Amino acid sequence: MSAKTENRLLDVKGLTIEIETRRGPAVVVDGIDLHVDKGETLGVVGESGCGKSLTMLSLMRLLPNKIRVTQGEAHFDGRDLQKMSNRELRKVRGGDIGFVFQDPMTSLNPVMRIGDQLAEPLIYHRGMSRREARTRATELLRLVGIPGPEERIQAYPHELSGGMRQRVMIAIGLACEPKLLIADEPTTALDVTIQAQIVDLVKGLREKLGMSVVWITHDLALIAGLVDRVVVLYAGTIVEDAPVDELYANPRHPYTRGLLASIPKLSDAPASRLNSIGGTPPEPGRRPEGCPFAPRCPLAMDVCRSHVPKLEPVSAAGSHRAACFAVEKAREAA
Amino acid sequence: MSVVQAQPAPLAEEAPVSLWRDAWYRLKRNRLAIFGLFVIALLAFTALFGPYLTPYDFLGQDLEARNQAPSLAHLFGTDDLGRDVFSRVVYGTRTAFLVAVVVTTIALAIGTTLGAIAGFFGNPFDRVIMWLTDVTMSVPNLLLVVVINASLKTPIAQWMEARYLETLNPFYRETVWIDFLLVFGSMALISWPPYARLVRAQVLSIRSRPYITAAQALGLSNRIILMRYVVPNALGPLIVAVSAGLGTAMVLESAFSFLGVGVNPPTPSWGNMISDGLRVWQHYPHLLAAPAAVLGLASVAFSFLGDGLNDALNPRGSK
Repeated sequence: MSAKTENRLLDVKGLTIEIETRRGPAVVVDGIDLHVDKGETLGVVGESGCGKSLTMLSLMRLLPNKIRVTQGEAHFDGRDLQKMSNRELRKVRGGDIGFVFQDPMTSLNPVMRIGDQLAEPLIYHRGMSRREARTRATELLRLVGIPGPEERIQAYPHELSGGMRQRVMIAIGLACEPKLLIADEPTTALDVTIQAQIVDLVKGLREKLGMSVVWITHDLALIAGLVDRVVVLYAGTIVEDAPVDELYANPRHPYTRGLLASIPKLSDAPASRLNSIGGTPPEPGRRPEGCPFAPRCPLAMDVCRSHVPKLEPVSAAGSHRAACFAVEKAREAA
Repeated sequence: MSVVQAQPAPLAEEAPVSLWRDAWYRLKRNRLAIFGLFVIALLAFTALFGPYLTPYDFLGQDLEARNQAPSLAHLFGTDDLGRDVFSRVVYGTRTAFLVAVVVTTIALAIGTTLGAIAGFFGNPFDRVIMWLTDVTMSVPNLLLVVVINASLKTPIAQWMEARYLETLNPFYRETVWIDFLLVFGSMALISWPPYARLVRAQVLSIRSRPYITAAQALGLSNRIILMRYVVPNALGPLIVAVSAGLGTAMVLESAFSFLGVGVNPPTPSWGNMISDGLRVWQHYPHLLAAPAAVLGLASVAFSFLGDGLNDALNPRGSK
């Protein structure tokens, strides 16, 4: 146990996030446990609105107004992020934990040269002089594969393409060589070839810098070759947690299976319809009793509509866990 | 402000253009705005160097040549004390610019600071500052200025006189400063609320943009985020407001001088010249026409420039 905790970089326990609505508080993230080991890359997968981004933002206490953490703790490197003073937290933000945001078009300051935006965290966290920071900024741009970095540091964000801007965002996230890089759907706004480039880039950098990565996405196929472990979120709860190969080979939760089945394959009949999961996720505040996925689940039983399944190991090794009564029943039968 | 003078882009021809270069390019194509800019530049030059170049002293009286019509010797004629109107208008430009720049700077500093705090930090600051803004705006401008001048001028003058008798420092004899202090102070006091409202609105919309969250995720302090991320992005509309505000301040000063609560004679100001000219305009229209025309020209120039800047800094609004 102690060896296990020592290797933990990020350890989230029972995190609950509520949003204030006119009808009262609604739970958007419901007591999730999550951990990232040192050097590990974790994929967090789920549909839009399932709480992926909120979870990550809450770690840095960057939640928007009216959304707040009501329960749980998040330990980073042994320290509780929720209890830190603002001053300590600012050192962690950008210093120990780098963030890459979803939309490269709006996440860069439009009136600041990208070199200056890169220099900002270096000056603040590393105490570099402006000149040193600029030199380092050039190196960082080269690291993320931007051609002609010496000229590019003079550019304004609107002079760069989307892919280039996302590279700049990654460079900013990496500037202080964080222990953990949290990438929140960093490829959503980009086209497919650029997506692959960004994934490869992060993969290479992770090895070079030896950092942990949390990659948030709704695209299971994209991250197959990147992550070590995948956590599947549905309506603010973790429904499945497994090593990546195990998850693809042997998905247990009906939601994960649905997600995997909805990825089109080349072997599909040319005119066949794309698979999809019927229905939509429950709105916050209108979660059904029992398993939140039950209304859309092909395997739903009576117990699913009255009780909430717990995340239980599905194999003896315990590294693959799912929250589903159907899975449990199948296992008991075996 | 250094951002306005964007450095030349590193690449030639298809070189990417910065926001400010882009805006300058659009401004250049707006003839009225360039006319405004030219007039303002000319007036600013006059304000700076004019008093050294005028043929006559603005106080110099020539009782032999009173109320003369415009001529080659006296371009705008002379007034009832035989003073050269042209020289006085030139010196009045300095007064007008001094008032406009100082008042706008003070109002801008107060308004930007309060507006940014209200918008960025939200309640309770927001509520208190907006309440203050509303109260200030609800008091009639002229009334407030008249009250301030009427109630404070005498006590301050007496205090200065007492200080002079105590220290014999000639600084306390210089009553011009009381004038300026009161005029500038009271004008700034009524001019800051629009800036505060504008900046607050800007900051409110900028605060929720993703790059602010991104800056917070970098661990930057609120002060740096406010100064380097929020305020520069709010600058566009603010520049427009300042350009218009400078013109308004000049007109306002003239209005106060006209009412006798502005800059006091013998310091020439367009307002008190208009006021003097108005009494005799049926006989000597040039005494009214000269300062009024220059004031009108200045006011129009600032309006044109403000409009041009508005179009140039809002690319979406232009064709």
